[in-house]
Amino acid sequence: MNVSWLSVVRRRLASLVWVVVGVSLITFAISHLVPGDPARLVAGDRATPEIVAHIRAQLGLDLPLPQQYLRYMGQLLQGDLGTSIRTHRPVLQDIAAFFPATLELALTALLLATLLGIPLGVLSAVYRNRFIDHIARTLAVTGISTPAFWLGLGLIVVFYGKLGWLPGGGRIDQGLSPPPGITGLYLIDAAVAGDWVVWRSALEHMILPALTLGFVHLGVVARQVRSSMLEQLGEDYVRTARAYGLGSWTVVVRHALPNALIPSVTVLGLALGDLLYGAVLTETVFGWPGMGAYVVDSIQALDFPAVMGFAVVVSFAYVILNLLVDLLYRRLDPRIREVG
Amino acid sequence: MQFTIRTGIRRALMAAVMGVGACILSGGALAATPADTLVIGKPADPQTLDPAVTIDNNDWTVTYPAYQRLMRYKQVDGHGSTEVEGDLAASWSASPDNLVWTFKLHDGQKFSDGTPVDAQAVKQSFERLLAKKQGPSEAFPADMKVDATDALTVRFTLQKPFAPFLYTLANNGASIVNPKAMQRDDADAWLSGHTAGSGPYQLVSWQKGQSLVLERNPNYAGSKKPTLDKFVVKIVPEASARRLQLQKGDLDVAEELPVDQLQALKKDQAVHVAEFPSLRVTYLYLNNARGPLQNADLRRAVVAALDYQGIVDGIMMGQAKQMRGPIPEGMWGHDADLPQPKQDVAAAKALVEKAGGVKSPLLLRYSTQDPAWEPIALTVQANLTAIGVPVKLEKLANATLRENLGQGNFDISIGNWSPDFADPYMFTSYWFDSDKKGLAGNRSFYANPQVDQWLREAATLSEQAPRVALYKQVQEQVVKDAAYAYLYQKNYQAGLGANVKGFVFNPMLERVFNVADMTK
Repeated sequence: MNVSWLSVVRRRLASLVWVVVGVSLITFAISHLVPGDPARLVAGDRATPEIVAHIRAQLGLDLPLPQQYLRYMGQLLQGDLGTSIRTHRPVLQDIAAFFPATLELALTALLLATLLGIPLGVLSAVYRNRFIDHIARTLAVTGISTPAFWLGLGLIVVFYGKLGWLPGGGRIDQGLSPPPGITGLYLIDAAVAGDWVVWRSALEHMILPALTLGFVHLGVVARQVRSSMLEQLGEDYVRTARAYGLGSWTVVVRHALPNALIPSVTVLGLALGDLLYGAVLTETVFGWPGMGAYVVDSIQALDFPAVMGFAVVVSFAYVILNLLVDLLYRRLDPRIREVG
Repeated sequence: MQFTIRTGIRRALMAAVMGVGACILSGGALAATPADTLVIGKPADPQTLDPAVTIDNNDWTVTYPAYQRLMRYKQVDGHGSTEVEGDLAASWSASPDNLVWTFKLHDGQKFSDGTPVDAQAVKQSFERLLAKKQGPSEAFPADMKVDATDALTVRFTLQKPFAPFLYTLANNGASIVNPKAMQRDDADAWLSGHTAGSGPYQLVSWQKGQSLVLERNPNYAGSKKPTLDKFVVKIVPEASARRLQLQKGDLDVAEELPVDQLQALKKDQAVHVAEFPSLRVTYLYLNNARGPLQNADLRRAVVAALDYQGIVDGIMMGQAKQMRGPIPEGMWGHDADLPQPKQDVAAAKALVEKAGGVKSPLLLRYSTQDPAWEPIALTVQANLTAIGVPVKLEKLANATLRENLGQGNFDISIGNWSPDFADPYMFTSYWFDSDKKGLAGNRSFYANPQVDQWLREAATLSEQAPRVALYKQVQEQVVKDAAYAYLYQKNYQAGLGANVKGFVFNPMLERVFNVADMTK
């Protein structure tokens, strides 16, 4: 079992190289196919052709495309994602500043979607076609079909504007210093540092954006759990367990639920990828200092190093997270363990 | 057993709700801004804080109060002026041929770390600016020489006279940087994320995408007497959220609010909407060098067909002033005698007929960089269709539009322009000199040797009166030639808390706040 586990990890990590090469090549090609001159954007419209040419040479944009790509990959191998055309800072430094915020938001949203979506799906299946099922299904469909932008603004108006219970944006209160950066995830860093004032502020700031982002996936998870739960509840082993006189609660939670959750793990893995890429609108509404605004601004400024750096880092994170999901999958489903 | 499930679920839900509720209701989530701090809400993080690199007013909100320059814009009777006065410079003089400019610095000026601001610092700042050859260097003569003749005297030698020179020294690009920062190994990267000036405030922290905190510079020795200890730039990308935070007192100033949100804010007693005429103009580029608009009569038809009042009232909700010619009101050299363009459909139709009509549609290319551009494009299309000139609209990404503008691939396009220095040169030489065709400024690809001659002469004169006379001739000629269609100069608007006092808008410094004069 251990050998097989290790070989999966090894295989996946090897595939990571190809993912990075593929992602960087495609992003590079697309970035350079878009008409527009980043040197002109840096120099400003009024700059003379000499200034623009100077900046183009400085950024290496005067080199042939294959040479530019090879140079980029050479730097990448040394862990250097290049320098942002827009901010003039190393891309890695920019991403290190923005990525943890996106990751923290995505993970919390996923946690919310899981914690609320699974019970909702279970209830929905257990009380199939009854009032509670209708409510749960309505909630799920609402979640899937509500635009994050609209929901976010609505939550801000109610919980910040009208009730004044929660902050209207940002990551912690103005005037508080961020916790010492260990992971970059404020909730974890503040807890590790024992700074509960910052922790509470970070939690308060997290609630609305995580709810907004998680709500969409809550619907997906609830529907997935409901349908696999219904399938499991119709299986022979459930009927047998009931015939043995086991209580409904025990049958549902101990026997049917673990089996129903196996496909949901895949859904959650995919959802996390979605959350990492798709937090842009939520981040904008809540002024969440994540990758969203950084990437959108970079795309508009034709900041190739920043866009490519983002694509590479997110793909990397996506592959690693999916590897973890696969390992979890193997843990949950013995059949996969046997196949290897 | 169902009772058990229900109870279990109910307990779990209650625990979850109580956990979040306890967090919410324990209070402290909201706090008004502290009395010694001004909090300015902006939609986007600065890109770079290096004065030799940034051309973006959004960055200047931070850099302008952190650095000083030789010159600064005056305040006259509590209003921002385009005239300049000395800041670091105590006095200055120019040689009779306007080629050698000598500045004497105030004694005792210091950077935020206590290093004296001397002539060497000025020399090195300008040499770095020119050597970097980035956007801001464009406003200064590339071949200018800078010498420190003694500790407090600096001399600029130009190769040919450049009339706006004194005005360019108040520009953000002319900021004087601490030589210690410029000598760092990582100077470029460091200066993009820090400030190293002698201005009234200095940057103490920047949480990317979230906020920048500036505190009073203890070594500031300039003439301003800052009252507020701190100013914070808070990044709130969503306009509705910025408005709400201003109303709740979490922001003292909210920038870049859409016109409709500002209209709504005017009803709120806790907020004051500041409005000032700006020098940011919106106009149409009419391609003089390609396609049907090479015909001046057709360009005149376009100018006569436009519903200017509709654009100002309907699209800008009255928050703009219609232009007469290229130099906007508020900039010296503005010609108030030029006739105000008015929609005249009959005259426009006659001009189209005179030009022999238009067979294929004119191509109007635009982007949504400015939310007003799309409705303007639709208005232009409707107005021109009404006079028998079909128009095809093409919306492009802004970078792509820029590329097309530079190459002249359009018949009509829409642009905004704001001056880098307070001189009519910005609205004339850039727009009409045939040497500046394309993105550099002459985006209509206009060429008139007589106008070129007037403009080049005006750029070498130091006396204002003969320059005004030349610019008057230029304006009359280019209006006659219908080189562009001049639409409006936009009002600058910002939402301020009712307790915020002392904000003076300078039309040369949009998005820059005179924090050192402000109180609350």
